[in-house]
Amino acid sequence: MTDSPVLRLEGAAFTYRGGAGVRGLDLSIRSGEAVALIGPNGAGKSTLLKGVLGLVPLTAGSIEVGGARATAAAAASAQTTDAATDPAREAHARDRMIGYLPQSIHVDPDFPINLEQVVMQGRYRRLGLLRWPGRKDRAVVRRALETVGLADLAERRFGELSGGQRQRGLLARALAGEPRLLLLDEPFNGLDQANRDALIDTLHTLKRQGVAVLVSTHDLELARLVCDSVVLVNGNQLASGPVDDVLTLGNVQECFEGVEVEVDEHTLVVPGHEGH
Amino acid sequence: MHRGAAGEWGPVSLFDALFGAFAIPFMARALLVMLVLAVVAGTVGVLVNLRGLEFISDGLTHAVFPGLAIGLAIGGTAGLLPGAAIAALAGAVILTWLDRAGVTSDAAIAILLTAAFSVGVIVVSRGDDYAGELETLLFGRVLTIPPEEVLPLVAVTVVAALAVVVTLKQQLFRAFDRSGSLAAGDSALVLDLVLNAAVALVVVAAASTIGTLLVLALLIVPGAAARLITRRMWWLFPAAAAFAAVAAWLGLAAGFAGSVAGGVDLPAGSMIVAVFIAGYAVVLTVRWFRDRVAAATGAVQ
Repeated sequence: MTDSPVLRLEGAAFTYRGGAGVRGLDLSIRSGEAVALIGPNGAGKSTLLKGVLGLVPLTAGSIEVGGARATAAAAASAQTTDAATDPAREAHARDRMIGYLPQSIHVDPDFPINLEQVVMQGRYRRLGLLRWPGRKDRAVVRRALETVGLADLAERRFGELSGGQRQRGLLARALAGEPRLLLLDEPFNGLDQANRDALIDTLHTLKRQGVAVLVSTHDLELARLVCDSVVLVNGNQLASGPVDDVLTLGNVQECFEGVEVEVDEHTLVVPGHEGH
Repeated sequence: MHRGAAGEWGPVSLFDALFGAFAIPFMARALLVMLVLAVVAGTVGVLVNLRGLEFISDGLTHAVFPGLAIGLAIGGTAGLLPGAAIAALAGAVILTWLDRAGVTSDAAIAILLTAAFSVGVIVVSRGDDYAGELETLLFGRVLTIPPEEVLPLVAVTVVAALAVVVTLKQQLFRAFDRSGSLAAGDSALVLDLVLNAAVALVVVAAASTIGTLLVLALLIVPGAAARLITRRMWWLFPAAAAFAAVAAWLGLAAGFAGSVAGGVDLPAGSMIVAVFIAGYAVVLTVRWFRDRVAAATGAVQ
């Protein structure tokens, strides 16, 4: 483990071409830390995660992934002479270091691919175009499947798995890239209790292994059980810090803009949201 | 076409049709080109099937036509391959661009492609042998491939195969999960261009052999048959390639037997496609019975 953050955003904004986006982001995540990203639907949580992945352009401030830094100014100019803010170097670090679990994927249930082959896709970035998976890659995939508790279903066709098993399978795919930073977009949506408990266990294991985790969620229990700190966003960053300091009734009401919310030890009730 | 062959060799045994026929140089050339083409078209066709690119493939067969026509007008039969290659690659770039620009309207693409086809017909109609040339372009000339064209045809096909093999893992990833592939850092533009260009090159080689109207069968049928034969991802490719190779061989043999023994002048390209379709029907029937048996066994248990 190192002291320097795996991910650091300073005054960052990620904006789609149409103008929608999220701004004013200041956060840093160190190895073994988990940060919850909380906000209403449309607040920009997914945009933030996609911005970190490089899928939404950085339009202000800076992003640093594994010590490689890119700034909006350097990204805007065609080339940079400053090695410390090299977008290409940052992109390379990003591709190799980040694992991503999307909110949902639309799969053709008849697509002829089994779970193990889906998880192997997480290795492709490291393999590049010409190399094919070897013994080490298969071992990593096997370990990722064991981590999410699906080793027995490795040969099962992906389309035959339940929604919760698919979600855990996709998490295994993210883990197969041996990421130092894991981005999870609403991983608990639609999960039953058993899959939920399995996911929480997995996240604890990953933190112990030194993986940094950034997770967008409505689930306050997850934030309390797994995360060290919370970032509240709604178009811009409203508050950040330790879970109990940030998740006050006032902060949450401001974040969810007048929507009636209740906050107690375990529950965040936001009408119209799939929260708990 | 194998005109005037009837009667030259007399009655033909099954062995002669399947093996002996290919000792004749023009049949050997046809078999060599068709086997290479079938194996590659089958492999590329699996990706066409998994990506749902049938419409773009159909589009490319139309886009190739004016290229073939202009190539023929300028350079005679030697101009066919370069003309088709230029048109097909231009078509691949335009169709990739239309797809990325969000032009998903079938009408817009159909207008563009029928326009390309009509340009081709106009160019051909300026020639002296309008009907003959049109027939060559539409239905191919697999039995009259000149020796000097075998190597270029095989080369075009092998380039298509290499393009797909090099990007195969990433193509399958994109076919299965577009956004996951993007998030992993793959370039959608590069992958789509490579695949569409590979399809275009297969179309080029196939258009010169079995003709532009029948090309689509070579690209679509083996992939669809492989989906029925196996549900294992990596088995799809050998299954499609083997299906296509055997069907191409049997198609050529059937055309030869029909022409020589039956005295019926069967167009070779059409016979190949007919055997592809018959093969698909057989696979479909076997699969149907297998599913019924599996369902009955499951019900008993």
